Amino acid sequence: MTSATQTPTIEELESLVGRQFPGGTYALEPWRVWLTNDVIGAPQRTDGIAHPMFCYYAAMAGLGISINEMFTLCYASADDGPMFGECDIQQLRPLEVGSTYTVRGEITSAVRKQGARTGTFDIVAFQLEVVAADGEVSSVVSNSFIFPRRSS
Amino acid sequence: MSPSPRPAVGVELPRLIIESIDAEKMKTMAALLADSNPIHWDVDTVKELGMGDQPVNQGPNNLGYVMNMLGDWAGGAERIQQIRVRFLDNVFAGDRLEAGGTVTAVGDDGAVECDIWLARDGTHPVLAGTATLLLS
Repeated sequence: MTSATQTPTIEELESLVGRQFPGGTYALEPWRVWLTNDVIGAPQRTDGIAHPMFCYYAAMAGLGISINEMFTLCYASADDGPMFGECDIQQLRPLEVGSTYTVRGEITSAVRKQGARTGTFDIVAFQLEVVAADGEVSSVVSNSFIFPRRSS
Repeated sequence: MSPSPRPAVGVELPRLIIESIDAEKMKTMAALLADSNPIHWDVDTVKELGMGDQPVNQGPNNLGYVMNMLGDWAGGAERIQQIRVRFLDNVFAGDRLEAGGTVTAVGDDGAVECDIWLARDGTHPVLAGTATLLLS
């Protein structure tokens, strides 16, 4: 097995596609919602509708592994300087304060790029679904991370 | 005030201005997210990494500001159907930010597409992307 921070082969990189995350649950507890709204300057609503950023927070907190574990899975570590790539959030149904959601998802693409200034880097994308208790998908979150591969 | 259900293409969205990013709120968010990255609270680490002398805001916070701008205009952030962004640069404690956007398309179904952005001092882009909202 290739250790973290060692550049994976193309085959190892591509083998990440389809890898499913353990998944988990995320509860929109009122205290958490209040504090988060306070941090991002969002209104403290009284109608039970959560800010759409909770689509993202629920997805990332409920995917079943930590960010550092995600980096390790992608043959990297925080010391390699991974960066956010793109973030795509679909809010199909607003999340509700006080509800608990199930999260499931997988890695959807993993590609190697070469930049004139940046050198070799990999882009790993993943998609997460935030599912309500009635089984309906409330949100789909697609993210990507950029991993510099300085050792290649 | 809510916008017209059919705003014209080219209409600029009212800007949201954040006069100064608060380092204390980064600490709260780090605790909420169990985010162990010290660049959000430890200035010494930020200096050691050559990233300046102020804590670095969490990237998702920056997206939250843009959602607030859209929600203020649309009559509620629940009207955001989809938002897609790229993170272009860091935001630091003390930065002054402006969030804005422009209507780029209006569908018969009431879906409004916008280009969106967040900029330091209104000029240096730190986030850019697109959003789709349902106004009616």
